[in-house]
Amino acid sequence: MKTTASPVEEQELNYAIMARSLVKRYKNTASPALNNFNLRVQKGEFFGLLGPNGAGKTTAIAILSGLFPPDSGTVLIMGTEFRRQPNKIKQISGLVPQDIALYDQLTARENLVFFGRLYGLSGQKLQDRIARCLELVALTEHAARPVSTCSGGMKRRLNLAAGLLNDPQILFLDEPTAGIDAQSRHLIHEQLSELNRSGTTILYTTHYMEEAQELCSRVGIIDSGRLVKQGSPEKLLEQSGKRNLEDLFLHLTGKQLRDT
Amino acid sequence: MMKIFTAAAKELLLLQRDRAGLLVLFIMPAILVVVITLVQENVMELTGQKTTRVLFLDQDKGELGVSLQKYLANGHLEIVAWDKKQKDIAAMRAAVTNGDYQVGIVVPAGSSARFHRETARLLQKNARREKGSSGALIPVRVFFDPGIMPGLRSGITAQLQMALQTIAMEAKIEALERMLKGLMARLGVPPEFTPLPGPGLSRRLGQPLLTLENSQVSSRPTGTSPYNPVQQNVPAWALFGMFFTAIPIAGAILQERKSGIWIRLTSLPVSPLLLFTGKILAYIGVCLCQFLLIGLIGSFLFPHIGLPAFTVSRNPAGVLLIVLFSSLAACGYGIFLGMICSTYEQASTLGATTVVAAAAIGGVMVPVYAMPRVMQRLSTISPLNWGLTAFHDLLMRGNALPAILDDLGRLAIFFLLTILLSWKLAQIRR
Repeated sequence: MKTTASPVEEQELNYAIMARSLVKRYKNTASPALNNFNLRVQKGEFFGLLGPNGAGKTTAIAILSGLFPPDSGTVLIMGTEFRRQPNKIKQISGLVPQDIALYDQLTARENLVFFGRLYGLSGQKLQDRIARCLELVALTEHAARPVSTCSGGMKRRLNLAAGLLNDPQILFLDEPTAGIDAQSRHLIHEQLSELNRSGTTILYTTHYMEEAQELCSRVGIIDSGRLVKQGSPEKLLEQSGKRNLEDLFLHLTGKQLRDT
Repeated sequence: MMKIFTAAAKELLLLQRDRAGLLVLFIMPAILVVVITLVQENVMELTGQKTTRVLFLDQDKGELGVSLQKYLANGHLEIVAWDKKQKDIAAMRAAVTNGDYQVGIVVPAGSSARFHRETARLLQKNARREKGSSGALIPVRVFFDPGIMPGLRSGITAQLQMALQTIAMEAKIEALERMLKGLMARLGVPPEFTPLPGPGLSRRLGQPLLTLENSQVSSRPTGTSPYNPVQQNVPAWALFGMFFTAIPIAGAILQERKSGIWIRLTSLPVSPLLLFTGKILAYIGVCLCQFLLIGLIGSFLFPHIGLPAFTVSRNPAGVLLIVLFSSLAACGYGIFLGMICSTYEQASTLGATTVVAAAAIGGVMVPVYAMPRVMQRLSTISPLNWGLTAFHDLLMRGNALPAILDDLGRLAIFFLLTILLSWKLAQIRR
């Protein structure tokens, strides 16, 4: 007998990312990294996850992108639960990790060929995707350079390109512009906005408030493993009466140093 | 399947770019096999597994020296006559002490004459030793290289004593035969009625009635070689080099884990087992090349540097199976090291230490039978011992494939166990 989804379930299926009551506790830590974390990101949204060091941003992105499971709670990506079809979800999502996830001894192109083939791409399709990704991050002319000889900005851009190889419907970015020059950051911003306009759902973590304000259609502020505030940057500023996101962020998370 | 080949191709590309790593993987075992084999070749000389060179100085120039040389030459000894112009015993002793020869023998002047006199005197009534002589004993002087093993020294001493006793016994029988013939003639017994068995009594009595039969030599299968350092060292050091690939494998995994690469790989629609399989495939290729290189060195280079050539048995498929299973075990261990260690320093130190220890207790450096009993028991836990025993079964004992199945099984279980643990660790480390 065919079962029909309830209106609530049907609504949940429309979210690109849905996290319900996620809890994650690491060994030998006093408090959980994620503590009843809830998140809903609609298809086509550009969602920014902001938070101080140790707030749980990277853990949230790792669980949402399927790197490891939560201790409890549910993750649905495009309406599919991760535990049920992990490879199907991985096939339609892309991850750009905080660290440079590239082989130094290989060239830019060799790196992309390797990761592209692991996505199951081959032949002309793979070559076209590589060409498109290199063009997107302005590295076409440097495709034959070993990664070890690239600048920090070039590595960051190539790191992004590797996450775009499978033309993902959902893109997870963990501080993709950390430690690079203004030119590279500007290029990455432009390309991410373009990808979002073309329909890619983006979940983005950053420490740069102005970056989040410029790029994201909605932001969520995470602290101590919980989402403490979320909404569009304009609405959040209007509600709080703060001048900018940084003031709001400090107001919500406090001025005390977190990594001492 | 394409993803496995992709992972394997990436590993080979990374290895190709790491020239220093490649040199270590191939040059290290190649140098070791040449050096250790040359060293052990000398050890074999010192232990008598090769022909021993005996320097012979015959100052007597009589029958005794000739007979002694004849008897010794029948054994495993190469008799080298000392320069006749240079009769100096001190120089001869120096040549032996310096290790140019393992043994030096001097038959002093007048020995044959004294020997004849002493033999005749034994049959005289009231035979007594001559006054002023050092008894009836006629000395044959012998020097040994101080570096030769006690076993070889004892063996040569026994061989010399046996030769001297045989010469003495023959002389005594000849003297007795002569005396009996004289006695019969004096008693007037015609030669046809004499109870003596005719001429050549000493030769007849000297004929051996009992013999030791070395059935192993006669039953050695064709295509196999007796124990020699080449047959021991070529497979042994090839195995050592193969197991050393565990360190670069662990290094490659740790590089991925320490950078963001492992995170990216985990986010891709591939399992860790697939990535492990790619690495295994690439490094099995490396191990095969290592064995081929060491085998070629053994077969073609060794004869040019005075060593016997390495010979592969009649069962090349069996040899290939041993190489494959040993490679699997080495790769499994490398992957396990890469997953259990946190840094490359840890992996390289732990990897090098465990591989050297496993090689030492496994019989790569010293044959297992030469170890103390405790170490012999311990050797059975070393994967290098399993591989080496399988090689010995095929290459030296000439056994067929079924004889090595137990060792191949152990290597396969070791591989499966390390991969299973690595897979579990990969899940935990996510």
